[in-house]
Amino acid sequence: MSAVAPVAPPAATPSGMGAISIERLTARFGEVVAVDDVSLSIGEGEFVSIVGPSGCGKTTILNLLTGLVPLTEGRITMLGKAPAVGNPDVAYMLARDCLLPWRTALGNACYGMEVRGLDERARETRARELLARVGLKGFEHKWPKQLSHGMRQRCALARTFCLDAPVMLMDEPFGALDAQTKLQLEDLLLELWNARRRTVVFITHDLAEAVALSDRVVVMSARPGRIVADVRIPLERPRHVRALQKDRHFLELYAHVWEELERGLGASAEAIT
Amino acid sequence: MSGPRASAVAAHAVGIAAFLGVWELAMRQEWLSAAFFGQPTGIVAFLWDGFVSGRKLWIELGYTILGTVVSFLLGSVLALALGLVFVMFPKVEHAMEPYLTVLNAMPRLALAPLFLLWFGLGIGSKIAVGTSLSFFIVLANTVAGIRGVSQDLIVLSRSLGATPRQVFFKVTLPSAVPVIFSGLRLALIYSMLGVVGAELIAAEHGLGQQLAYLQATFNMNGVMALLVLLAMLGMVVTQGMTRLEKAMLRWQ
Repeated sequence: MSAVAPVAPPAATPSGMGAISIERLTARFGEVVAVDDVSLSIGEGEFVSIVGPSGCGKTTILNLLTGLVPLTEGRITMLGKAPAVGNPDVAYMLARDCLLPWRTALGNACYGMEVRGLDERARETRARELLARVGLKGFEHKWPKQLSHGMRQRCALARTFCLDAPVMLMDEPFGALDAQTKLQLEDLLLELWNARRRTVVFITHDLAEAVALSDRVVVMSARPGRIVADVRIPLERPRHVRALQKDRHFLELYAHVWEELERGLGASAEAIT
Repeated sequence: MSGPRASAVAAHAVGIAAFLGVWELAMRQEWLSAAFFGQPTGIVAFLWDGFVSGRKLWIELGYTILGTVVSFLLGSVLALALGLVFVMFPKVEHAMEPYLTVLNAMPRLALAPLFLLWFGLGIGSKIAVGTSLSFFIVLANTVAGIRGVSQDLIVLSRSLGATPRQVFFKVTLPSAVPVIFSGLRLALIYSMLGVVGAELIAAEHGLGQQLAYLQATFNMNGVMALLVLLAMLGMVVTQGMTRLEKAMLRWQ
């Protein structure tokens, strides 16, 4: 077993082909500074997780990337474009499955493509294929209420991957699942991502999840959200999340990210006093 | 499954038959006055005359159904349209709300005398009363249904690039359908209530008008027959809407 020391480059690591570039981003809601002077560059095909205590502005960053929250201070480019709601380069996924309850699994998997104007036959073929890949073959005509939580989130994964967008933004997509289902879906996500590596920004408060999935884990401090660490995760790919749970190297990296997070919490506590 | 169900039906049939038997006997033995209660054989004879040997009741029933359906459609369409306006322009709702609240609080049947003057003894005044009832129910449910749409679904759709039009037709409207539908079901019943109520007050035709006439001429068999008929009509309407709802909202 190779002993790769978990090295943490403290500042953002610029990569050759920046798929996403965030420069000096600050977000305020009234008096509250949610995100304070954040710069981050994410390479094409890179899987980056952003972790931090709740209220650290993780979701705000994601909402700024989707364009749902308008940008006021700083600069964001995604594949050379400014953030815009409905940007076809982006697929977005949330903790809630957000399935339309009046559509079957197939109808939901088609939904994103339908909104983006794909031809009906093409989208059905693609949706069926993705549903099979997420393990929902035979459930195409079930209503969401007939599916378990895990199955519903599988369906949401299918909908997201159907879009075939080069950038995927995920806001705690497995946050509402039980531990076992979560591990299964993390493996499924990696499997889908491995087939074609798109740029992923993954928000989570689960450090183990962040370390297991990502190429880099960006650690943020409590409000105002600042980047306190940017940790490379040099675990080999393809990875198997369930197997990793007992891997020594994985556990070391996990402990390291955990220390960084605690340091971030400590730093912001000092700033307040 | 059919076993317990069939026996329940049989039990009801026996119970009803016994009740009708005692009723009939009480009238024949003159324990009670048939002038006040009618009697089952007389009720059946009245219905037979009206529907089988004659045509009269078909016509009256037709007037009531026509009035109900038109009131329901008119009230619902107007309410759906205004509901959409309210959702799109909350200021309009804000401005109109106090007036609508007052109108809605008023017992609508009290408007019947006014509508009779305005629209005459014919079906027009009945439709006006029925519409005034169905309209408010559908309006309230339309607004509540549209406002109740999950914001997560809207955010997701917008992030996917859905236009406002797509969001409305693919998310907002379908999600409002169950609430609107329960309003429609109630509105149909209330349309009938309004129409029959207005017919009772003054009309040329309709089951309500017949009921008032039969009561005034002490034809208790006729009164009872029409009450049975109205109950059946109400039940058919409710059942029909429930079935339609189940078929349309299988996803629920």
